[in-house]
Amino acid sequence: MSEELLSYAVDPAEEENERQEIVRLLARSDLDYEIGVEAFVVFRLARRLIACAGLEKNVVKCVAIDPDWRGEALGLKLLTEIVHLAHERGHVHLFLYTKPDNVDFFRCCGFYPLAVVPGTVALMENTPVGIQSYCNQLKKLRQPGDVIGSIVVNANPFTYGHRHLVEHAAAHSDWVHLFVVAEDVSLISYRDRFQLVKAGIEGIPRVTLHPGSEYMVSRATFSAYFFKEKGIVGDCFTAIDLLLFRNWIAPALGVTHRFVGTEPFCRTTHKYNADMMHWLRADVSVSPAIAVVEIPRSEQDQAPISASAVRRLLRAGDFSTIAKLVPPTTLALLQSKYRIERPTAA
Amino acid sequence: MKIVREALAGTLESSDLMVRIAPRDDELEIVLQSEVIQQFGAQIEAVVRDTLAKLGIFAGLIVIEDKGALDCVVRARLQTAVQRGVDAWTADWSALS
Repeated sequence: MSEELLSYAVDPAEEENERQEIVRLLARSDLDYEIGVEAFVVFRLARRLIACAGLEKNVVKCVAIDPDWRGEALGLKLLTEIVHLAHERGHVHLFLYTKPDNVDFFRCCGFYPLAVVPGTVALMENTPVGIQSYCNQLKKLRQPGDVIGSIVVNANPFTYGHRHLVEHAAAHSDWVHLFVVAEDVSLISYRDRFQLVKAGIEGIPRVTLHPGSEYMVSRATFSAYFFKEKGIVGDCFTAIDLLLFRNWIAPALGVTHRFVGTEPFCRTTHKYNADMMHWLRADVSVSPAIAVVEIPRSEQDQAPISASAVRRLLRAGDFSTIAKLVPPTTLALLQSKYRIERPTAA
Repeated sequence: MKIVREALAGTLESSDLMVRIAPRDDELEIVLQSEVIQQFGAQIEAVVRDTLAKLGIFAGLIVIEDKGALDCVVRARLQTAVQRGVDAWTADWSALS
């Protein structure tokens, strides 16, 4: 490499020419450009774009090196740059999606595998002690019993439906571990959702309420990674999350069962529940299978109670109907903080 | 000194190392990954512990990704990471050499 290698950051929203070149470079590596990427590090040699790595919050993706320039140790340089760029943007703990064939390469760059869906996708993190120390914390909260239930809720917001699910799980388990999704992308903030769950499950015995983590239904574990065969995207994106649960979180707490409510409205959640049957139970992991218990939604006036219905009613300002679907603590918070001004006729 | 924020120093290139440090309450945890861990793992860890002691760092998570760096490079990268991860630098430079 006699020409000087140029390395710099690109904002894809601002630099259309650079973006077009990145799209072509990714295509040469059978990767699709992802619109969520906020910043790229690129290498240019003799005016030619030869490597790129993208960053979406704390997730590294769209990493490619021109096939003509592989074997020059550019990868280590590229990963160094992206790790430093992420750090400048306030992200220290990083996740990375790649094809399983590339796990060994990224292993040399300080990334460690978290979950692998064979032939499809792998998720890695940039610390050898990340999920292990999280699980060590969980282990301290283990409870004795033959049936250890688990529930993961977003609770956006907490409804009587959630309460019914937790009550049912508690009645059929020796102990229940309840997690609240921590990612703050929902209408109701994580802080508020957690407080509403805490208030909402009061009086139900043998339940531990856990804060969510990056290892569970988060931007990192639930991010779609767009491979060429679009059909498999949906599968791999639930598989990573569910394998993390089965291989790490469930063994740490001794979880034997996972409880979910049937999902009549949201297609993504419906698919997640369906995929649970496969990734938590089938012979796809060395970790013990987890029983999945899907219970019918509780109903109000013959209609299933769902958080999405509550949000629809909230947009319509229909608090008298909401009052039938949610506990008083949720109602009070919605009225005081999440009242949505109805748009004027337009 | 006390590590108060996560900090980063170094690169992943050959003969260098990347050091990542993070605050911990009471314990000092050193996680070392090296391409030459069989031959030099113990030596690198000794250099890391010695450097941290001279800096007065007794708690923190230190993650090192070593690519065959010399001892002086290990010391330099570690010092830089610590400098970035503390609020006030109170170590005695002359004692570090």
